[in-house]
Amino acid sequence: MRRLLQPDGSLVEGGCSRLGPEQLVEALRWMLLSRLVDARATALQRQGRFGTHSPVKGQEASVVGSAMALDPAVDWIAPSYRELPALVRHGYPLERILGRSMGRSPAATRIPDGVNVLPNQVALATQLQHAVGLAWGLRLQGRPGVVMAYFGEGAASEGDSHEAMNLAGVRRAPVVFLLMNNQWAISTSREVQSAGQFFRRAEGYGFAGVQVDGNDLLAVFEAATDAVARARAGEGPTLIECVTYRLSFHNTTDNPRRYLPPGWLERAECEDPIPRLEAHLAWLGLWDQGARAALEAEVAEEVEAAVQAALAMPPSRPEDLFDQVYALPPERVRRQRQELLQHVQEP
Amino acid sequence: MVLPNVSHLTIPSSPAYIGAVVELSRAQALEIYERMALIRTFEERVAQLFAEGRIPGFVHLYAGEEAVAVGVCTHLNEGDYITSTHRGHGHCIAKGVPLGEMMAELFGRSGGSCKGKGGSMHIADVSRGMLGANGIVGGGPPLAAGAGLTAKVLGTGAVAVCFFGDGAAEQGTTHEAMNLAAIWKLPVVFVCENNQFAESTPVVYHCAATSIADRAVAYNIPGVSVDGYDVIAVYEAAGEAIVRARRGEGPSLIEARTWRYFGHFEGDQVTYRTAEQSAAHREHDPLTTFARQAAERGLLTQEDVDRIHRDAARQVEEAIAWAEASPLPAPEEALTDVYVAYR
Ligand SMILES: Cc1ncc(C[n+]2csc(CCOP(=O)(O)OP(=O)(O)O)c2C)c(N)n1
Ligand SMILES: Cc1ncc(C[n+]2csc(CCOP(=O)(O)OP(=O)(O)O)c2C)c(N)n1
Ligand SMILES: [Mg+2]
Repeated sequence: MRRLLQPDGSLVEGGCSRLGPEQLVEALRWMLLSRLVDARATALQRQGRFGTHSPVKGQEASVVGSAMALDPAVDWIAPSYRELPALVRHGYPLERILGRSMGRSPAATRIPDGVNVLPNQVALATQLQHAVGLAWGLRLQGRPGVVMAYFGEGAASEGDSHEAMNLAGVRRAPVVFLLMNNQWAISTSREVQSAGQFFRRAEGYGFAGVQVDGNDLLAVFEAATDAVARARAGEGPTLIECVTYRLSFHNTTDNPRRYLPPGWLERAECEDPIPRLEAHLAWLGLWDQGARAALEAEVAEEVEAAVQAALAMPPSRPEDLFDQVYALPPERVRRQRQELLQHVQEP
Repeated sequence: MVLPNVSHLTIPSSPAYIGAVVELSRAQALEIYERMALIRTFEERVAQLFAEGRIPGFVHLYAGEEAVAVGVCTHLNEGDYITSTHRGHGHCIAKGVPLGEMMAELFGRSGGSCKGKGGSMHIADVSRGMLGANGIVGGGPPLAAGAGLTAKVLGTGAVAVCFFGDGAAEQGTTHEAMNLAAIWKLPVVFVCENNQFAESTPVVYHCAATSIADRAVAYNIPGVSVDGYDVIAVYEAAGEAIVRARRGEGPSLIEARTWRYFGHFEGDQVTYRTAEQSAAHREHDPLTTFARQAAERGLLTQEDVDRIHRDAARQVEEAIAWAEASPLPAPEEALTDVYVAYR
């Protein structure tokens, strides 16, 4: 497993960081923002003001480190449901993402035109098919983009992940498969998810597979930039397994205390990527209490502004259910829309 | 027409060996040759019958691949399971499904293995552990994993062998089944019959790895690639995998590299490979190769070979007569055996 950053913030011997001071602080900023959104969204959900939320907590280095390898102007993200800071960095405004989970109007919360992010997918591994189709299409059109597709180690057991990776290998599609091995698929542990190593699956598809310490921002960034460069050069896909830990519940409907082995969370928390990155900044002499406080305040302000902006958006209407599903709704669906409208208008 | 080199198959330059590792008895050699000859004869005869319009529906013929089914099934007992494919006649014969019932199934007669309602692509004989030919590409692997789970839970010591094509290797169901079988250490042997094509799609167009056996590493199970013309190579690889499965050590993956002699289905114009390519592959015909090598070892004589072929021809003719004597299913049978009645 590739690692560059030690838990104490120093580099491994001979290790070399590809991120300069400004990028390191930018990464930390995304990670802190993500952590804060998790807390805020969870609180709002408990108040009945927010839909289901799947926290990124613990996986921020993997999500942010991989997203920072992308150029939002040409590259694409095919997300699952646990990659919020990657989407924001790529240009999907935070208030829109929050608004969508807060029942705001689809028109106000949709992915803006020109932002290269696909709608997030909850049906496991389906985004991989979309990613490969998109990447193959970009290649056929001679366009420069690379697609970063995120999926969990649980989703990797879906037949769809096999079919997508196989096709990507055969077509040398410019796609990076970012397998987020956070040790859990809801309550199913990594041990019972597969008998093999996830990154080694790439061998069966004829492309490179690498395993990195997913709590190490530098290692994730290195693997992702290499993979993106290969894809851009026409050398095809890469499978990156980020070994990380889900430090929160699966989502707001879950109670991990019912299945986590005793001590598991406490051990995993020692690998938290945020303190590790802060320790690295301190090791570089770039970090102190004051800098941290200033960054935290800035991020808090940004999150709060996004929450307020989301709350101010118009609410969605019942008929929005039918929009953005069919380009040309069939008769049956048009009738159902009419029936729903009549029903909600009745006193 | 020049076709790109699209095959995973390099024609073996040295003749396959026999007896170097596995010592065969004369009885075993006879049994192996008899089974292979029976499959070959059956398939060649079915091709004629189909061309004459005497068989309804669709047939996919197994000729050329005999060494795979026979090399594997020679190890199996009646209590073991196999799952098959749309190209299933060879698997049925190797597993011991009666020829008459098979032929009647192809003819759509009530005496068929499935009362004539399944046809070539759905022959099943659960009493003999033949869990079904399968019209769904990739339909077999989950069934084999399920059969392996049955054997494991009931502690019967049985194994399940899953025959599937190179095309089926790319189906999501195959991944899901191998992954589960590996996690649960199920007694399953996955046998990929890499005949270099999925319909007209050459294997290099659907697989970027150098071998289907490279998939095994994903599941941390043994994976080997063998010459599928060489019945002994298949027999050896399958023997190891089956012993491992019976010991409770879990599944294995075997890729057997082979070549089908007929088109994808009967009626296929075969525009995607050349007659020269096929002729080159037929030089390594599994039957003639084995007969020659067994003769060199003093295990088979030319008289044996001639008698076996005469015998196979007679058995197939008897099966045809039996099938034709069997009545068509009654119309009201259309609704039976579709759903189990749960009470
Ligand atoms: C096709 C499908 N099957 C089942 C589910 C239910 N489900 C939602 S999340 C999840 C676990 C996914 O685990 P993993 O892929 O490891 O991602 P993680 O949630 O850990 O990020 C399951 C089973 C689903 N959404 N889609
Ligand atoms: C799920 C599914 N998709 C497509 C088909 C159509 N089809 C029938 S056979 C075949 C090719 C199968 O190739 P392979 O698995 O290599 O087996 P072979 O025919 O070479 O023995 C296809 C695509 C099908 N029967 N089932
Ligand atoms: Mg094939």
